Amino acid sequence: MARMDRGVISDIELRTPAGRLIVGVFVVILVLFGAAFIFPFLFAFTAGLKTSTEIFKPGLHLWPENPNWGNYLEAWNRFNMVNMFKNTAIAAIGGAIGQLIVSALAAFSLSRLKPAGKRVIEAILLITLAIPGVAYLVPRYVILANLPIINVSLINQFAGLWIPYAANAMTILILKNSFDQIPKDLYEAAAVDGASDLRMFVSFTLPLSTPILIILGLLGFIGFWGDYLLPLLILRDPALQTISVRLISLTRIFGANLHLAASFIAMLPPAIAAIFLQRYIRGGISF
Amino acid sequence: MTPIEMTTTKDLILPLKRIQWRAQISAYLFLLPALLIFTLVTWLPMLQTVLFSFQTVNLVKPSVWIGFQNYVRMFGNPVFYTTWKNTFEFILLSLLIGFMVPVLLALMIHEMRRFKSFFRTLAYMPALVPIIVALQVWRSIYAPEGGFLNSVLKTVGLTPQLWLQDPDIVKISLVIIMTWIGAGGTILYYLASLSEIPTEIYEAAELDGFSPLQRIWFISLPLVSSRMMILLIMQIIAVSQTFTEPFILTQGGPGTSTMTPVLQIYNIAFLNSDIGLASAWSVSMLVVLAIFSIVYVRLYNRKEEGDRN
Repeated sequence: MARMDRGVISDIELRTPAGRLIVGVFVVILVLFGAAFIFPFLFAFTAGLKTSTEIFKPGLHLWPENPNWGNYLEAWNRFNMVNMFKNTAIAAIGGAIGQLIVSALAAFSLSRLKPAGKRVIEAILLITLAIPGVAYLVPRYVILANLPIINVSLINQFAGLWIPYAANAMTILILKNSFDQIPKDLYEAAAVDGASDLRMFVSFTLPLSTPILIILGLLGFIGFWGDYLLPLLILRDPALQTISVRLISLTRIFGANLHLAASFIAMLPPAIAAIFLQRYIRGGISF
Repeated sequence: MTPIEMTTTKDLILPLKRIQWRAQISAYLFLLPALLIFTLVTWLPMLQTVLFSFQTVNLVKPSVWIGFQNYVRMFGNPVFYTTWKNTFEFILLSLLIGFMVPVLLALMIHEMRRFKSFFRTLAYMPALVPIIVALQVWRSIYAPEGGFLNSVLKTVGLTPQLWLQDPDIVKISLVIIMTWIGAGGTILYYLASLSEIPTEIYEAAELDGFSPLQRIWFISLPLVSSRMMILLIMQIIAVSQTFTEPFILTQGGPGTSTMTPVLQIYNIAFLNSDIGLASAWSVSMLVVLAIFSIVYVRLYNRKEEGDRN
């Protein structure tokens, strides 16, 4: 394990001029690309500090002459961002929790309870991964607008987002994989003690899978926070709309500086979630 | 064989069977929410897409079966061919601009002894941000007057461009955004596969006198190439579904130069309320993506087998 941290280039080569040159070139290229990756964030941040005339002033000037910190407050108040944040949080947190509950229950059944027709269920779950959602978006919308049999419309209901968000075959398969790793002895011991399936699920299956549950929850939150098409179709009432949908319709009314200030504020929750995510994901995601 | 013995065996078998039934009920109770929700928002809609494509769909009155008329209308519309031609160009451009970038960046990040996770996070940032927010920022960068890019061009003495209004440039402008958003996830994937390569191979090659670049060319790249094929297909599948970028930034224009199949499906279904026709378009999309998905699954299985051997 002592030499684990060598890459293609060895530590000895790193001390030679040629090795230093190569790594030096790599660092320069990475810094340039890194700057390009982060540039739009900086751009939104500094543009949000400019006055409405300065933002359109020709010429290169990234940092404003007089940073207008009040823009952020003004954007927050005039866009009624509290309400946008509340709506987006309800949609994203509800979606992430719903997805975890539905997926964990199904994954536990597939992993431990041997339902008849398990292979068929797994196969049709896999199929949903191969067919992208846009291909059946229209009937999905028709169904959500008028649920079959009970004839309830989910338009302008957060449940209209939570239900489709909860259906994620990838989450089920990842959780099943993770539940498969839990030692069988635990279940046998619990069965001897007369524990019910639900008890085994709640008392040690879930607690033992906390890291993966948190990772999937955060990934779900980040994805749903930025979702656009479904909220656009489902949440028609402006008072219920999420940040993504609302920001677009406000583009036409307010100045670009306020708009970019609001955009920057809207980036913060997923960025914070990503920082938490970093703590749980070590050494990259493999799938 | 006395009758008493018979009953004891029965007593033994019956409870066993009963327990199995109870286990099945329990197993399906756990599965029930997922099965209900998947039926409602995934399996039923998939089936309906196919059915709707043969109907004139009316949300108030019952729908009418019309055979292949929707398909005749779809194939008779020149925009159908334009959208797929655009998609084809988007795919080519995205492979040209975006396919090698993540491989090279991953190789470089892999060589970093410090700040590895810093660069990794940086590359992943664009994927974390709400796409709408990112597109708002890009709109300001591409703005013809006072936009960042044109300001840079003016400062260094080049002619400003109409990044989103010139039909010759607009596709490249959009593909740059797609690459910016998508590169991070791909880099994470390549980094994971690079870290799986045993370092002993590099050590042996180094002793045999291979230079670092030769080691990358002869060892790293061949070993990640099976993943590169998978990501190639994934990129094609993702680009075929391009919607948000043209929807927000160009509305498919100028003209129809950035009109894509999904954008057209959206317009037909939600602006023209012609759900039957939109479903025919969806089925055509489904066929194309299913072909790529099958290729993807085959490649993936081959990679899994390769990993096991």
